[in-house]
Amino acid sequence: MLHWMADPQWVIPNIIAPFVFTTVALTIFGESTGPLGLYAVLGGGMMGMWGNTIYSSGFAIEFEKWQGTLEEVIAAPSNLMHVITGRAISNAFFGLTNMIAILIIAVAGFRVSLGIADPLMFAVSLLLTLLSVSALGLIFASAFVLSRSAQALTNGLETPLYIVSGSMFPIALLPFWIHPAAYILGPTWGIDAIRLATSADYVSQSFWAGMSPAMAMFLDLTVMLLITLVYVLIATVLFKIVEKRARITGTMVQA
Amino acid sequence: MNGFKIFLSSAVFSFRAQFDWLNPVMWLTMKFVLSVSQMAFFVFVGIFANAPIQFIAVGNALQSISWNTVFSVINITGHDKWDGTLPLVLATPANRLPLFIGRAMIHVLDGLISAAISFFFAAVLFGVNFAQTNPLALIVAVILTAFTMAGFGLLIGGFCFFFRNPMVFANIFTFTLLIFCGVNFPVQSLPAAIQPVSYVFPLTYGLTAARNAISGSDLLQIAPTLAQQLAVGLAAMLIGYLLFRSFENNARKTGKMEAV
Repeated sequence: MLHWMADPQWVIPNIIAPFVFTTVALTIFGESTGPLGLYAVLGGGMMGMWGNTIYSSGFAIEFEKWQGTLEEVIAAPSNLMHVITGRAISNAFFGLTNMIAILIIAVAGFRVSLGIADPLMFAVSLLLTLLSVSALGLIFASAFVLSRSAQALTNGLETPLYIVSGSMFPIALLPFWIHPAAYILGPTWGIDAIRLATSADYVSQSFWAGMSPAMAMFLDLTVMLLITLVYVLIATVLFKIVEKRARITGTMVQA
Repeated sequence: MNGFKIFLSSAVFSFRAQFDWLNPVMWLTMKFVLSVSQMAFFVFVGIFANAPIQFIAVGNALQSISWNTVFSVINITGHDKWDGTLPLVLATPANRLPLFIGRAMIHVLDGLISAAISFFFAAVLFGVNFAQTNPLALIVAVILTAFTMAGFGLLIGGFCFFFRNPMVFANIFTFTLLIFCGVNFPVQSLPAAIQPVSYVFPLTYGLTAARNAISGSDLLQIAPTLAQQLAVGLAAMLIGYLLFRSFENNARKTGKMEAV
């Protein structure tokens, strides 16, 4: 976290991108009625977590390469995955701060009224979603160890993930062939639970239309936790493969 | 002639330098991914809000130029600082004007490729209708937008010589365009007090001209808008150059370059 804060680039995924995307979305939504403000504000907050996690996964490795410290990090007896996990979780937590900025913009600038129907489940859903985003970040980070283009991949992945996870609009609007990609992203289910915790009326638009909001939230969180578990397993295997390959080929920095 | 050689080599080297950290395949992939993803994101937001998606798709297609002409141009300054090449640039006896402007010009060409890809996506994926388009007027508007936005990139790049981390400014100013320039909604949707800010950016004029060209306006009809755009772009380039010279003079006196 301190390493991240030392470089002012943290403001890009954490503040600038979500702030701009939310402001543009709220302006496009304009006078429209319905749950649009809910989508824009919660989506903007979600994008902050996404952006921070992807950015930190990519740049955590890139910075080590630039500063010549990646060899020391990998040579240390500590498990590389533990090092990166700590970074991914702290950075995703840090991404939460942008939600405050977005709430201020939405309430003060766009007069969006946003009450939270179930504050406890809102907090639980947010926390679990954050862990899910962090777990996905671990998979990205393992791949970025072997790539010289982590920075470009980071920039390229950000917006597609915002789209596929339906951060600011229902995924039903996306072409049918994209839906499977949305369903294997844990945060897709997390944002559904967060919206349900914010407004019980949202249940008719959730993945579990027809069920009670409580049951819908439970199912969202269960699916997300299962997916997160799979992410952690994949990341564990990938880190072992990548670390071994980097040690054998000696291409850690010139990958 | 010597000035032209400096201009040309400066342009080529600034483009080749990025392949130090980015391979050509990744460069091409990102060109397609970035072009389509930002446009798709805002188009889907537009569909959800029942907003005019043709307006949004065209806006994002032209704004894609900014990732090359603003983001990349500002980052030339950043890379010079990171890679330790700034002292070499300042030590060379080469004429500063072609050296400074040349660095941005290859990104104008790169931006035109981005725009072509984005307009293709706008037509094929999001059904933008180019049936009424005046091709000459649209091509001139796009080229002038790339050139003048590079001028804007040079302005911010010149300003960034005085800071340690130009990447942050590159992001701020590239993203800011999405709010101020009428990319996703008309400038008139902004609060009246901040609308004048929109006309500081050449992209605002470029978008107006390009949308008019797509609606059938010819080159003469959009010429006044293009003239304003050119004036703003050249002014930005000139101020950027003066900032660069000011930084250079200051760096020689104080011995501070990267560590500002």
